[in-house]
Amino acid sequence: MDGTAGAIFDDVEIGQDIPTLVKGPMTTAHIMRWSAAMENWHRIHYDWKYATEHDKLPDVMVNGSWKQHVMIQLLSDWVGDTGWAWKVGFQFRGMNVPGDTLTAWGRVTGKQERGAWGVVDLDIGLRDQKGNEGTPGTARVVLPRRGGPPVPYPFDPAVLG
Amino acid sequence: MSEMVPDYITPAVRAVIGAVSPPQLATHPVEPSEIRRFHQAVMDHAPRYWDEAAAARYGGVVAPMGFPVHAHRRAEDQEDPLAAMDRPDFDGVDRALRPGLPEVVVPLKRLMNGGYEYELFRHARPGERIVLRSRYADIYQRNGRTGPIVFVVIEDSYETETGERLLLSVNTMILR
Repeated sequence: MDGTAGAIFDDVEIGQDIPTLVKGPMTTAHIMRWSAAMENWHRIHYDWKYATEHDKLPDVMVNGSWKQHVMIQLLSDWVGDTGWAWKVGFQFRGMNVPGDTLTAWGRVTGKQERGAWGVVDLDIGLRDQKGNEGTPGTARVVLPRRGGPPVPYPFDPAVLG
Repeated sequence: MSEMVPDYITPAVRAVIGAVSPPQLATHPVEPSEIRRFHQAVMDHAPRYWDEAAAARYGGVVAPMGFPVHAHRRAEDQEDPLAAMDRPDFDGVDRALRPGLPEVVVPLKRLMNGGYEYELFRHARPGERIVLRSRYADIYQRNGRTGPIVFVVIEDSYETETGERLLLSVNTMILR
């Protein structure tokens, strides 16, 4: 097929865990690659002396701007090219440093039929190797129903009625 | 007696709440190699970013959904942000937190990203120039155990040049 077939609404159950997405172990090279690609000059990402002495941080920081795209990828991997990750929100409450391995996760908290499609709500998060939850959030995705039409693209919430 | 906590939400700070940027056109169109650097740095290798056949749903290859958030880069004739790096207190980030918005002037030196709320509609595509409109939705202070913390809430709207919406964002930046 063209693209990747994602989750089908009929198969989703409340309480279900979606496939996790693992990144890492993160290194200073991963942080540098992202910062350079984004032209992000915030010193806490590459200047250890500044991060630890001026900002009193434990080490240089894994970018929140990078973690946000991991959260989006968690959802886009699950809905594939047949559904749509409509809403994604999260707070950066925990810090991540080189050496961390990060696991993005999602758990279904609700589902409802809307028009020809289905809307699914999730709790989402990003957990480090010690089990610390640093990025709590929620998401809402739109999925096709079995045998039903694909989710229209570009996505317009008005189609849900 | 508790110590007096300074109020950083001065009339000058209050005056920028609600400030709206003029539409900001990205310096360059979305470029395939920028898409590549982005998805490789995120380690997201979905074929929709590089394989035309796999991207048929989107009318061709697309940028990762969050790409527009980073599309507004330094223009060729803009001042070098690294020119201020000899200031020991400069952390590398302009306190005008978006292009076209005024600076939030508070004497707090540590800046952290508090999080995002996104609503997503459409991927940007190579060749498109992204238009950003931003607004300081709120700026407020909370006094924590470690001292005062100022929250800057920024609403961003990203569109194509022809007015097709890409995504909406609410970003909270934290100064402490």
